[in-house]
Amino acid sequence: MIRTLTGLIIVLALGAVVAAVVPEMQMHEELQGVGFTYASRGMYETGSSNLVTAVIVAYRGLDTLGEVVVLFCASTAVILILTLFPIGIKPSEPSGIVAFTAKVLPAPILLFAVYFIAHSHTSPGGGFPGGAIIASTFLLVMLGSSSIPDSSGRIPAIESLAGLSFGLLGFWGVMVVGQFLNNTFLGTGTPGELISAGLIPLISIAIGAKVASEFSGVFTAFRNTGSRV
Amino acid sequence: MSTVFYWTIAGTAAGLVLVGLWGILTRRHILRIALAFTVADTGVNLLLVWSGYLPGRTTPIIDDSIPVSGMASAVVDPLPQALVLTSIVIGVAVAALFVVVGVLASRRTGSADVRRMKELRW
Repeated sequence: MIRTLTGLIIVLALGAVVAAVVPEMQMHEELQGVGFTYASRGMYETGSSNLVTAVIVAYRGLDTLGEVVVLFCASTAVILILTLFPIGIKPSEPSGIVAFTAKVLPAPILLFAVYFIAHSHTSPGGGFPGGAIIASTFLLVMLGSSSIPDSSGRIPAIESLAGLSFGLLGFWGVMVVGQFLNNTFLGTGTPGELISAGLIPLISIAIGAKVASEFSGVFTAFRNTGSRV
Repeated sequence: MSTVFYWTIAGTAAGLVLVGLWGILTRRHILRIALAFTVADTGVNLLLVWSGYLPGRTTPIIDDSIPVSGMASAVVDPLPQALVLTSIVIGVAVAALFVVVGVLASRRTGSADVRRMKELRW
């Protein structure tokens, strides 16, 4: 009762704050500040016609590197906890529908994911969602069989390699023009073409591999946890 | 997008945040708290994307339909979308961590009820 009342008071207080603040956020007619700079100059400065990718990988590449580190910490913590304290849930037999789907769908999904990552600078896409799509394929294949994936160390190897290549791509800029994660020293090319936008496609591939292997590692850890009990 | 729809999105986003917070504060099952957390997370993401919207504009991906001279007046703000993209991935990772710790805690206390977890009392 006290819990419900306290919760109600806190939620109502936050609701009052939101109701007071949100209507003040009037629709602007024009872009303001840094958003205007990104929208008006982004394509010329980075060579990426997808401005969201330009912001994530080029303008705020250092933030993205930090975010990859956060993701790494979270997935490492999950895998560590599940390895030290096995929960002990045995994988169950998949239903016929799941087993059939897991045989048919992975190839087209993987093709889509690779396209999604490789064209992140010309069309909607990017390393983070593309990596999540690859990991979802991994999950589908895993759910389609009752077997337990072996922990051969390949997934951590891909993860480390992808993270390392992100950092090395950044240091490449330091070597050539003296700026970490500089995007333009390779030339930006023609926006809209596959080989363009400097380092953005390479970094996208690194991020995609990193996210895919991290989530796959987490799924494997959840699956493996039953085998130890 | 009409004005009504614009404010409907804002209301939905704020509502999701409040519903999520309500769930976090009042639910007892630890996995339901994790679920409420992701609901609040989704609300925050929606609110961020909504804040970058400008009337009558298209996605921040430049193609032939966007005039070269007036790119900045043809697209919505790319910055909130970039922030939300990263926020979604972090949200998934944090939710996975939440679930693992929650399942582990429920194994230790023999119950998924947070009232039985002395460390989580408030």
